[in-house]
Amino acid sequence: MKARKRERRRYAKPGHETYVFRLFVAGNESNSSQARRNLERICEEHIKGHHKIDVVDVLKDAAAVPKNNVVVTPTLILIKPLPKVIVLGNLNDAKQVLAALRLTGDER
Amino acid sequence: MAKSKRRAQGRDAGGPQKRRKELPKVSTGIAGLDLVLGGGLPAGRVTLLSGGPGSGKSIIGLQCLLHGADAGQPGILVMFEERAAAIRQNASSRGWDLARLEKKNKLYLMDARLDPEAVISGEFSIKGLLAILDQRIKAMRAKLILVDAADALLHLYDSPLRERRELYALHEWLLDRGLTAILTVKTVPQEEAPSRYAFMDFMADCVIHVDQRVTAQITTRRLRVIKYRGSGYGRNEYPFLIDENGINIIPITSNVLQHRAPGPKMSSGQAWLDEVLAGGYKSGTSILIAGTAGAGKTTLACVFTRAACLRGERVLYLNFEESAESMVSNMLSPGITLQPLIKTGTLVVQSYLPEAMGVEEHLFHALKDLDEFQPRHVVVDAISACKRMGSDQAAFDYLMRILNVCKERGITCIYINQTAGLDIVEEISGIGVSSIIDTIILLRNLPIGGSVVRQLIVMKSRGSKHSEQFHEFRITDRGMDPVKA
Repeated sequence: MKARKRERRRYAKPGHETYVFRLFVAGNESNSSQARRNLERICEEHIKGHHKIDVVDVLKDAAAVPKNNVVVTPTLILIKPLPKVIVLGNLNDAKQVLAALRLTGDER
Repeated sequence: MAKSKRRAQGRDAGGPQKRRKELPKVSTGIAGLDLVLGGGLPAGRVTLLSGGPGSGKSIIGLQCLLHGADAGQPGILVMFEERAAAIRQNASSRGWDLARLEKKNKLYLMDARLDPEAVISGEFSIKGLLAILDQRIKAMRAKLILVDAADALLHLYDSPLRERRELYALHEWLLDRGLTAILTVKTVPQEEAPSRYAFMDFMADCVIHVDQRVTAQITTRRLRVIKYRGSGYGRNEYPFLIDENGINIIPITSNVLQHRAPGPKMSSGQAWLDEVLAGGYKSGTSILIAGTAGAGKTTLACVFTRAACLRGERVLYLNFEESAESMVSNMLSPGITLQPLIKTGTLVVQSYLPEAMGVEEHLFHALKDLDEFQPRHVVVDAISACKRMGSDQAAFDYLMRILNVCKERGITCIYINQTAGLDIVEEISGIGVSSIIDTIILLRNLPIGGSVVRQLIVMKSRGSKHSEQFHEFRITDRGMDPVKA
């Protein structure tokens, strides 16, 4: 119930908060590059100017992996606004990603 | 791909090799399991360990890993289900200090639990996990890896095809790094190799299945090696148990009778009985004392026990009928003092409740007692109580194993058996063990007139002359005295 309320509030004023993402990728491997592109596109289209994407390459920065409990790549973590959301995969299904990130209310 | 092709070519070019090369193996640190596996796990290969919940697969894996770490082969534990903290705690309850090994860089725990709330959208791989593992492997020169609950990872994939692909990728990755790997996979009880993961059995070089089952209200754990490429292995199901020290497996390893020849005669503790036995018992043989309740079986065994202990020969008394205290106090009545022998350490009385555990556990305890105490003689009081370990078969297994071990080590083995009557030969012989018993002594109480007459007869004494008559005796406060006819 609580979550519902929070969601409605978010729909009411989309794009006012800054969305902070952390995306874990494995170099330029295809799923990782796709996820990068897909996330950038989604942000551009839905929360333009209100987002920050922090890309972590696990091949270069392996120490970050256990800290964030990343098991698979790509892994997208929505850090802000809370609650935290974790999305695994190349983010090809934009609709599904939007729903997971609570951005579905935004009709274009 | 290229690698496997090269391997295949190499084999073809060489043709059938005359000289057999031993497959390099890694000890598991579990003595019994090494015996079953003909030395240990295949080095640099993948071993699959499957079993139902609570079957002990994770503990087996962890014990292998810790043994390796202690033996200078650093290891990594990847956990898909349990928290690192929980594993450390469980291990410490067995006295395994993971933190110490972690500090020395001999062990690394990798928490790879997946967030249950994670949303899956599109394809992904475990490259992230492998990247960190790669770094760790290099940093600590890891040789072993345990992937616990590998099935939890596979559940992420929505299609069996992707599951399979990812697992093959993991398998290749492990082989490329030359790691000796153990993958544990949960199976549903009653289903040995679930079809969903059947391909894993084909992929791995060694497949071990463990399970836990209940028969006659007693739980036993069993282990079976399903396959082992390039190596021989024990093909039976082996009972094992988990105690505070970890896994214990007691395989029947000798398929030939390697019994030692009986030793010289030794006194039974009573001069008249030595005469009846033409010189006493033969050391290193098996002796069955059978008789009705109150016929003096325990007394006869204790007369010998005391005499042996006074000669300085250690005796292990396995009592399934009464506690050591009660036995000591009861034996005071026929004048047999055991307490000083226990105090000096020549006599060890171990009391076990037969129904408290399964036959494997009993066997394990008995063998441990034998190993630790190294007795010259063993008394089992009484084999009739051993049936309460579960079944006649269980009792038979237990007694046969003890007898075998004793004969191999040249330990005298005295079995006491309580019988209801004296007519039934089978009952006297005691659960079918009589054929391998060397000496059988029968005790009975005969009501004659207003009193009871005690009699003893030697029914069998292999390789020795003996009296064939009933001998009357009395139990006095000085032991067992003959009644001259």
